[in-house]
Amino acid sequence: MSASLPDETIDPNAPVANMDYFMALEFKETICPVVQRYTDGLLAGKIIGHRCSQCGLVYVPPRGYCPIDVLETTEEDEVELADRGIVTNYTVVTPVQYYGQEATEPFAKVSVLLDEPGGMLSLQDVLEVPVEQVRIGMRLEAVWVPESDRTVEEIGNRSWGSADGCILGWRATGEPDVPPDQFNDRVF
Amino acid sequence: MSHQPCAIIGIGQTKHKKRRDDVSLPGLVREAAQRALDDAGMNWSDIDAVVLGKAPDPFEGVMMPELSMADALGAAGKPLMRVHTAGSVGGTTAIVAAHLIENGIHERVLTVAYEKQAEGNAQWGLAGGRSGGMGAGGIFAPWMRSYIQHSGAPEDIGWKVAVKDRKNALKNPYAHLQLKDISIEKVKESPMLWEPIHFLESCPSSDGACAMVLTNEDGAKRAPKPPAWVLATAMRSELGQFPGRDPVRPQAGVECAHILYDSAGITDPRAQIDVAEIYVPFSWYEPMWLEGHDIAGPGEGWQMTESGATEITGDFPVNPSGGVLSSNPIGASGMLRFAEAALQVRGAAGEHQVDDATVALGHAYGGAAQYFSMWIVGASLDAVAQNK
Repeated sequence: MSASLPDETIDPNAPVANMDYFMALEFKETICPVVQRYTDGLLAGKIIGHRCSQCGLVYVPPRGYCPIDVLETTEEDEVELADRGIVTNYTVVTPVQYYGQEATEPFAKVSVLLDEPGGMLSLQDVLEVPVEQVRIGMRLEAVWVPESDRTVEEIGNRSWGSADGCILGWRATGEPDVPPDQFNDRVF
Repeated sequence: MSHQPCAIIGIGQTKHKKRRDDVSLPGLVREAAQRALDDAGMNWSDIDAVVLGKAPDPFEGVMMPELSMADALGAAGKPLMRVHTAGSVGGTTAIVAAHLIENGIHERVLTVAYEKQAEGNAQWGLAGGRSGGMGAGGIFAPWMRSYIQHSGAPEDIGWKVAVKDRKNALKNPYAHLQLKDISIEKVKESPMLWEPIHFLESCPSSDGACAMVLTNEDGAKRAPKPPAWVLATAMRSELGQFPGRDPVRPQAGVECAHILYDSAGITDPRAQIDVAEIYVPFSWYEPMWLEGHDIAGPGEGWQMTESGATEITGDFPVNPSGGVLSSNPIGASGMLRFAEAALQVRGAAGEHQVDDATVALGHAYGGAAQYFSMWIVGASLDAVAQNK
């Protein structure tokens, strides 16, 4: 939760007090069955969510429970979701060059409210649209990675990289924007 | 459950800086802790138990630091507890320590919180080591946009908060940023980091620590300086993401505030609280929390900022210390809010003292605006009743 302010510059002639030291730890996260169904779906070109039988809310990626009703959700609650939707919110990030950061230019991350039956994917990349043209209400469609190149290695149990490796990003469909009053209550 | 009053009799903090390379991690926490002990007129051996908080371990890459720092914290052979609630942790840590006193488990508790951001990279930590990490600002930016749109706030409100808190920091020798020439123009023209947040509307990255010594009524009588009394504490949390969640006014934040006010006997927070230290890491969070905790009505938080009500001289001063916008040792940032609130009601805030402050709010939030910790402190046990 921070930005580096250039309030104190480092004197190049000062004695070295700290050094960066990089180390690696390799591990494999064991994917739980409910996320496994989701990643299997992505590999097959489908976005799978769970719809709570009580409140009707759609969870994507599915979690196996509805936290609102405190109910377990199972394969019986699976719904195949649309790979098209609208931008309900976004930010344009000026990237910080931490170790491993590949982005160098400002990039947009958008929240996409999927078409019926619904579901919200957050922090999605936008393709082929200049960042200054990203806007609320814009209609988007998923750009899938070619089936033979899809991977789900980046997807973990905590929704890390919600569709990374299978959906490259989202591009504008060119359809007219949707007025915000039609989705004001579903922004997040 | 037996419940006895908890007093804050010692407060200490480090000078917060971008890089405290003059001290090690244990040295940093000791600096704050020693100052708190000195303030309380105590030695390390007087302490019964230590409660430590900091933000997630990947921020410095030192895992479970409470174990290796036990000696530095004077906790060898004593109960030592670590608290985790993301950015709100400093506040939660103080509350856990207060509960140990209130429930009669210990008589003298040292509570410490810290972050040494220069020895790691918080944005890397938050990104889980991946490219394309957005930092907390990237998560919060859309919510701020949503607040701006729905409240109709003019865009200069964020700039005003950024200037006010940095001017307050000039009155606080411990504050990291000392931006003597801060101005609306400078904030507005600083680079856009996470639209709509400019560089100067964002908190810095700091090394620093904060510590407090808490005790019961008997301990307060023996303390060399006037105590601050813990009048109420509250914690609430919710999931960071679920369909239909309102992250601009999270339900956990609303409920936490109401439980706090009820428990302190506060019916009109704006009138009965003299000063507030609120966790504002990005400028727009001042009006957002004023509304999100029902201090201001819907759409009225920004008007409090605009009218000058939140200045040190206003009727509801917010962050006279300079706040998170001026010093952000993440894990300590919440405890600093709690400690600064206590300094105010002790009349010990120095140049940033608010006149006649007897009831103060300390506030912290964390995660995806999903963890909330708050306390009300008073100059006396009946400070709220006297503040009608």
